[in-house]
Amino acid sequence: MEQLMADLKKQIIEALNLKHLKPENIGDDQPLFGDGLGLDSIDALELIVLLQQNYKVKIENPQDGPTIFHSVKSIAEYIRANQTA
Amino acid sequence: MATIFITGMGNISPQKTWGDAPLLSEVTEHNSERLACVEPDYTQWFDPRQLRRMSRVLKMGVAAGSIALKEANITVPDAIITGTGYGCLEDTGIFLTKMVENNEEALNPTPFIQSTHNTIGSLIALMLQCQGYNQTYTQGAFSFENSLLDALMMVKEEPALKVLVGGVDEITDLSHTIQKRFGIFRAQPESNLNLFTTGRGTVNGEGAAYFVLSGEKVNDNAVGVEAVATFYKADEQTLKQGLDDLLRDAKLQVSDIDFVLLGTSGNAGTDKTLLDYTLKMFPESSTGVFKHLSGEHPVASSFAFWLAARMIQEQTIPSAVMLHDTGRKPKNVLIFNQYFGTHHAFILLKSCRASG
Repeated sequence: MEQLMADLKKQIIEALNLKHLKPENIGDDQPLFGDGLGLDSIDALELIVLLQQNYKVKIENPQDGPTIFHSVKSIAEYIRANQTA
Repeated sequence: MATIFITGMGNISPQKTWGDAPLLSEVTEHNSERLACVEPDYTQWFDPRQLRRMSRVLKMGVAAGSIALKEANITVPDAIITGTGYGCLEDTGIFLTKMVENNEEALNPTPFIQSTHNTIGSLIALMLQCQGYNQTYTQGAFSFENSLLDALMMVKEEPALKVLVGGVDEITDLSHTIQKRFGIFRAQPESNLNLFTTGRGTVNGEGAAYFVLSGEKVNDNAVGVEAVATFYKADEQTLKQGLDDLLRDAKLQVSDIDFVLLGTSGNAGTDKTLLDYTLKMFPESSTGVFKHLSGEHPVASSFAFWLAARMIQEQTIPSAVMLHDTGRKPKNVLIFNQYFGTHHAFILLKSCRASG
């Protein structure tokens, strides 16, 4: 889980071009949207693509998006729960 | 027509055309067949969160627009009109590459959204919260001229309007590689300052230049835009007739043109035709060139527009530009551009200095 979260932080910085951040600047539970990391709706689409490309995981119900993308930890948990072996 | 004034200008080009330095006081030499822009520090206009999603052409375009608006002392224009031959090439390249790599599934939204030609004008409007007329013209090497024509017609109808109009194009690795296969650029890298003296073929260029136009004169050193005219695959007679019409409408004679800024590009054939024609048509005028400074690209005339306006404002012609000097001060300046011998355009600017 720790390794997955570390990988995710690097991939999020790369995919969203967050050059002003380092992986260690992103907390496991830190909110990604709103007052947290300040991501927006286009970033949410980029994250959906990231999960699909890197982990073969799809978001089946768009309404689950806010819960899944709340933090790096919630994304990692969703990947663990939905990634086929 | 009533005079339409340039009240603000912003230009990011392969020369250092931004900042407070005198006009082309330092000429940047590029030893390449590809002239990249000398770019400013964009953090003075955008915060990192805005910058992270912006491709280079977007940064250049928005920054040039911001400089022009600041010089015109306005925050939000009434209209934004953009000319671009190639649009946002970098994001287009990323989008298409990802489409292939991902088997047309799971496409990244950012390069897709920002791959369209009108992204530049849209982003300026979004950042300024400008809900006025917003148009992008993309007609190859007439993109800037058509944008200018639209702006002139708008201001002619309503002189109080303040219209932001410009031309933007970028080089990317992919676009340069593709264009190079046509054999239009210099085969070997060499100094851009030797463009007109050695070799054959032009140099690739890019740039972003925006201007604020208005019917209201804001200072005593204003530059007026008299006319714009375009000609596609025109013969010499058609160009002569077009020039006669343009000068007649401007109530000028050929001898009133102090300076002709030529769009020669380093191609021996088209350059000779243009030079011979110009010397025949304008025997009393000084002449100069600009594409060794800007490179060749679809909206290179926007660089010429900026250069001509600055020369009129400062009443000086930089030595890097001068080709044939008659000693005349640049008050009426004609830009005579061409693009690979198929596209020709005239743009006429004049000094509106109160003292004459």
